[in-house]
Amino acid sequence: MTGSKLVFMRRALLLLFPALSYLTSLGQSSELAPVTRTYAIKNARIVQAPGRIIDNGVLVIKNGIITAVGKNIEIPAEARIIKADTMYVYAGFIDGLSHTGVPKPKEEENKVKDPGNPPNDIAGIEPQRDVRNMLDPNDKSVDEMRRLGFAVSHVVPHGRMLPGQGAIILHAGESPDAMVYKQQASLFSQLTGAPGIYPNTVIGVMAKYRELYRQAEQAKAYKARYIQDATGMERPSSDRVLEAFYPVIDKQIPVVFKAEDVLSIQRVIDLKSQLGFNLMLAEIKQGWDISEKLKNSGAKLFLSLDLPEMKEEKSMPDTTKTTDKNVELKADKDPEKQRLQARKDETIKKHYQQPALLQSQGVEFGFSTFEAKPRDIKGNLSKLIENGLSEDAALSALTTTPARLLGLSSTMGTLDIGKIANLVITDKSYFDKESKVKYVFVDGKIFEYKDEPVPKKNGETVRVTGKWTYNTETPQGVHTGDIVINGEEGDYSGTISSTISGDTNDLSNISVDGDQLSFSFTVVIEGNAVLVEVIVTVEEGSFEGTMTAGDYGSYPIEGERSPEK
Amino acid sequence: MKEYIAIVLLLLFSQAVQSQQKGTVLIKNGTVLTITKGTMEATDVLIKDGVISKIGKGLSTPKGAQTIDATGMYVMPGIIDAHSHIALDAVNEATSPVTAEVWTGDAINPLDVSIYRALAGGVTISHALHGSANAIGGQSETIKHRYGTVDPDALRMKEAPRTIKFALGENPTRVHGGGNGIVPRTRMGVEAVFRSSFSEARQYMKAWDEYNAGKSKKGYKGTAPQYDLRLETLADILKGDIIVHCHSYRADEIYMLMQVCKDFGIKKLVFQHVNEGFKVAPELAEFGAMASVFSDWWAYKFEVYYSTAYNATILHKNGVVTSINSDSGELIRHLYHEAAKTQKYGGLSDNDALSMITINPAKQLGIESRVGSIEEGKDGDIAIFKNHPLSIYTIPMMTIVDGVVEFDRENDPDDMRIYVDPKETIDVTLHGTGHAGDRCMQDAEFLFHE
Amino acid sequence: MKNFKYIFLGLILLAAQLAEAQNAKGKTGTFALTNANLVTITNGTISNATLIIADGKISALGKDVTVPEGAEVIDCTGLSVYPGMIEGGSRLGLSEVGSDARTRDYNEVGDVIPQMRALTAVNPNSVLIPVTRISGVTTALAVPDGSLFPGTAALVNLHGYTPDQMYAGFEAVVLNFPSTGKRGRWDSRSEEDIKKDAEKALKQLNDAWDKAVAYYRIDSAIRVKDSKKEMQYYPEMENLLPVVRGEKTLLVEVNAADDIKAAIDWVADKNIKVVFSGVSEGWRVAEKLAEAKIPVIAGPVLSIPNREYDRYDRSYANPGIMQKAGVKVAIKTADTENVRNLPYNAGFAATYGMGKEEALKAITIVPAEIFEVADQLGSLEKGKIANVFVADGDPFETETQVRHLFIQGWKIPLESRQTKLYDEFLEREPGLKK
Repeated sequence: MTGSKLVFMRRALLLLFPALSYLTSLGQSSELAPVTRTYAIKNARIVQAPGRIIDNGVLVIKNGIITAVGKNIEIPAEARIIKADTMYVYAGFIDGLSHTGVPKPKEEENKVKDPGNPPNDIAGIEPQRDVRNMLDPNDKSVDEMRRLGFAVSHVVPHGRMLPGQGAIILHAGESPDAMVYKQQASLFSQLTGAPGIYPNTVIGVMAKYRELYRQAEQAKAYKARYIQDATGMERPSSDRVLEAFYPVIDKQIPVVFKAEDVLSIQRVIDLKSQLGFNLMLAEIKQGWDISEKLKNSGAKLFLSLDLPEMKEEKSMPDTTKTTDKNVELKADKDPEKQRLQARKDETIKKHYQQPALLQSQGVEFGFSTFEAKPRDIKGNLSKLIENGLSEDAALSALTTTPARLLGLSSTMGTLDIGKIANLVITDKSYFDKESKVKYVFVDGKIFEYKDEPVPKKNGETVRVTGKWTYNTETPQGVHTGDIVINGEEGDYSGTISSTISGDTNDLSNISVDGDQLSFSFTVVIEGNAVLVEVIVTVEEGSFEGTMTAGDYGSYPIEGERSPEK
Repeated sequence: MKEYIAIVLLLLFSQAVQSQQKGTVLIKNGTVLTITKGTMEATDVLIKDGVISKIGKGLSTPKGAQTIDATGMYVMPGIIDAHSHIALDAVNEATSPVTAEVWTGDAINPLDVSIYRALAGGVTISHALHGSANAIGGQSETIKHRYGTVDPDALRMKEAPRTIKFALGENPTRVHGGGNGIVPRTRMGVEAVFRSSFSEARQYMKAWDEYNAGKSKKGYKGTAPQYDLRLETLADILKGDIIVHCHSYRADEIYMLMQVCKDFGIKKLVFQHVNEGFKVAPELAEFGAMASVFSDWWAYKFEVYYSTAYNATILHKNGVVTSINSDSGELIRHLYHEAAKTQKYGGLSDNDALSMITINPAKQLGIESRVGSIEEGKDGDIAIFKNHPLSIYTIPMMTIVDGVVEFDRENDPDDMRIYVDPKETIDVTLHGTGHAGDRCMQDAEFLFHE
Repeated sequence: MKNFKYIFLGLILLAAQLAEAQNAKGKTGTFALTNANLVTITNGTISNATLIIADGKISALGKDVTVPEGAEVIDCTGLSVYPGMIEGGSRLGLSEVGSDARTRDYNEVGDVIPQMRALTAVNPNSVLIPVTRISGVTTALAVPDGSLFPGTAALVNLHGYTPDQMYAGFEAVVLNFPSTGKRGRWDSRSEEDIKKDAEKALKQLNDAWDKAVAYYRIDSAIRVKDSKKEMQYYPEMENLLPVVRGEKTLLVEVNAADDIKAAIDWVADKNIKVVFSGVSEGWRVAEKLAEAKIPVIAGPVLSIPNREYDRYDRSYANPGIMQKAGVKVAIKTADTENVRNLPYNAGFAATYGMGKEEALKAITIVPAEIFEVADQLGSLEKGKIANVFVADGDPFETETQVRHLFIQGWKIPLESRQTKLYDEFLEREPGLKK
């Protein structure tokens, strides 16, 4: 085959599947440029911003910017036309905080001589780190978020107390730099201690945070004195940890704190009021009882889209696990269990009603997707609306509000002329449970999504029974072993063996959802029983996914089906 | 429609937070055990806006106030536990022998159902202490049991002075010397840690004094020492701003800390547990150190093997201000019974026994001007008992904090949790014996290598 | 020569001091407790009466009892006489210093080890024993702990110098029934994992039991043929055999409601002697326990309710709820060094619904019945062993003092290391001066 023919073939493929090039995985960076960077979206219901809707409108994109939007718009000749009849167009969503595009690094085991005086990096004090150095444009989280309509994320490094500086990234671009819209956007903080070393507990973290902040203020002030009149003064020492706080002290960037529960949130607000930094609170899960406090704190708020599982009112019995069924059956008979279940349900409901409640109290918020599983996000948004949040308010929380809170309003958050072309196009209203995302534009680049086969509910799940070999790498080394699964849907059992420990453990909570297999097992680490949770995607004779061992971190796991004898 | 939803939501969430309330309530016709002013039969106590405004006979109820008929019952000051770890999310920052900079006030958990269980035992105030893993542990927080709020700040007793936890003996030596191979591994090392910490703090203070004296002078070129929260806290101890509460068992180590404190001019000293305090009771009394003891715990480790349940009596009779504490989410529910054990072990009078869970712990926490007895002008913290509180047959009936009824046996719903874990499906049955509720070494278990 | 005499004297003095360093000696003989209030437990209370102790037994009691010649008369005017209290399950004697493994003798290695006998490891000279008995607790069940069948518990009287002198005539094989509860606050196992672990343990239990039953059948078959023939050495089975035969009691430690139900089911078809111990959630399944006619030893009463959402006083009320439902209830502290708090555990149970009379039975005659020694212990009756204490009031009341103590007819000095420290240090000499 000659070279020219090859090129022709490729091109033909491209014409057939215009979006395929973007869906292929890494290593394919030698893609051809698109034929045009001008697009026209026709006959769509254009939701420019919450409450501003153009029916049967046209939206034109040129060189990554929205150049025209409205009715009776002339479509440029060079435009690729997207027929969007009956479709909805929204501004691309903005995620207030996550690790999107930031792969989780391997945890290294560190021996520390004096746990009271560990090196900063081991203690989780690395505010000088820049998330830009950790971005991977091909990380699957980028595509997962984009498919949901998210064009932009505020992303931060992995770590503990002070993992580093966050950035605003676009979910497109072939290199980390190409993705970054705004670097050094925030200083990321968590009330997370380091295992077995200082600061280990929340009280250690709080104390250390205060001390670092005060030391940074002191060092900054001294430096200013020194610059004025250095002669005869001790030279200020350079300290990258303290220097990372300078823009925070100057109110140039906010501290973004991940704080989920009602107590952590208040602890962070305490820190803010003592130290005086600008605060962003993200991944809020339990704020319903402290809405006044949240409002008065002056913090910018992002509510978590990771919500506890809510049983559907008319739940199909086949979606509930057998164990739940047993619990429910028992609960029917036992008034005490019924009371407890009712309390639990009420609590779960509060999680879902929280955005509506805060909205009714005039508290502004965006959303963060930090711990939310991508496959749950869309459904969770629908449930928030079922629980009282208006569609407009939901849309605000996904677009205009986070744009404002993150300082992006001039270029993002609405479908107005001059804004960056971040769009999400759906076949029905996005918040309709049945709706599907058809196209996403990020930074003017088009991503087309074909309908994915939905796993059928009635037993059309992937076959997982049998023997598998797996391997995973943890700080202890490379584990390999066998996973054996027996039984049938709704009643699986199994074991997992490890070459490193020599143990075989029983699996529990084995469940299969479409092509997703999940299970857990317990291992003993340092005398503590630790629950290890595994979620993998099964394809034909292999699987890959992640294994999470409590506070010990997450690790990739992959495996193959053993040939059956 | 929107408004309707908002109203529904507000109704749903209306049961939520009560911030720091102050109540008005009249407790009629009880036997009032004032502790400091004797016992008054058939007497009323009026609490107005959270403060005891009048004690007398035939008082009338203010408009709209609740009246409690305490006829035949005993009315005593709210019980105070000088040593507890309930309502805390973290107890020990066990990673270093000195952690003066940390503060349990950062870890208050108002959702802990243990608070309610303590209220059900008449306890209105507890000292939420840092654990005993470190020679110099963290600063601690005196909390009022205002249960039903999600606001940690609402539990803080703002008037209470600052306190800090020290620890001697096996715990710090096992954790740091045994676990991590750093000083202290012995009681010699523990002393050395104190002396070096305070000496460093002195130097730090001196350097700051020099800098502060110079900095206003024109053309001053000096440098301030680097801000150090640990040394700042130690300096505050030396200045007398913080009461030291020291976990201790053996007589020799108790004596040692008194010597160290004398050398560094530290006067506010309360020993916790002090199982062998009775051996150096005269020295404790002379120093003015106080003692907060277990009623009868012993033999759970070697340094408490030579204990006696008569400890509280011996200390008390030697003139040491003594309290009985719980150090446990279990014992805190019946401190009135723990105090009664001073009558079995040493025959103390009713009032002396009750002082050990009221005015004496109040003195040890530096809050005796606000609580610890029933006096006009003091906080409306009251426990009402069915029989005399020192009788085994008594039942705490009602507990009042700041004039707000926090526990009422007659109206007690079983499930008093404020928040429910949406993921919790398990019937959690924990049963422990002995020291199951003892959290003195919580967060430090990983450091034990026995 | 003179010198030698002094040295000899010195040695005698030294010996006296050494004796003083342990416990003062008890004495035995005939004692008459006169003008006493006799709380017999089984036959009501007899006021202003006399109780005679002779040959280690209660030889007579009542209003018109004559004092035997040569008896030591103890005037008990204003005092009450009670049978010694019986602790239904502790580690007393098996552990000296809790945190020191070298002084812990209740937890042998192995899952199924019923052949491990607590009686051989009870330390008669434990400092903890005098501390316990001078509060009126005269008898205690020493219980091994650990895995599934951790050993055989023994009932001991708290005075004597050898196991034989202390043994109170009852042993039971201990079974820690597989638990579906959490092991501690740090137990992060999921619900399902906990269930799985319990199932695994249950499987292990059933396996051991099936083996024991098989052993029993073969053993019986062999003996029918030849009464002298013996089974191959298999100590685990040999020690389960009397349980399978229904001769020896199986003491089942079980606490969570679901576990209690499972344990009831497990014993239902076995036709064996069973006692449940712990039963902290017995109140949840009181009717079932009553129906199954399984006696229980509940405790500790002074403990935290098992679940966060439980009513605050559940543990106090637990014994009373079970007893009112018709369960035979004894009470234990499950403690080691503070078994002396047995009357207070009973006192709280009394206050929270059980009533004084039943609570007193729960630490005297009921445990005696459960331990099959009611013919010797648990009440003031003629012919019973003289385990008796005399108090100046209600033994549950905290201010009450024990004034006299008899164990197996020995009058025991009311002394322990704790009282001696009190004597020495109340007014220390020298005080502050050198």
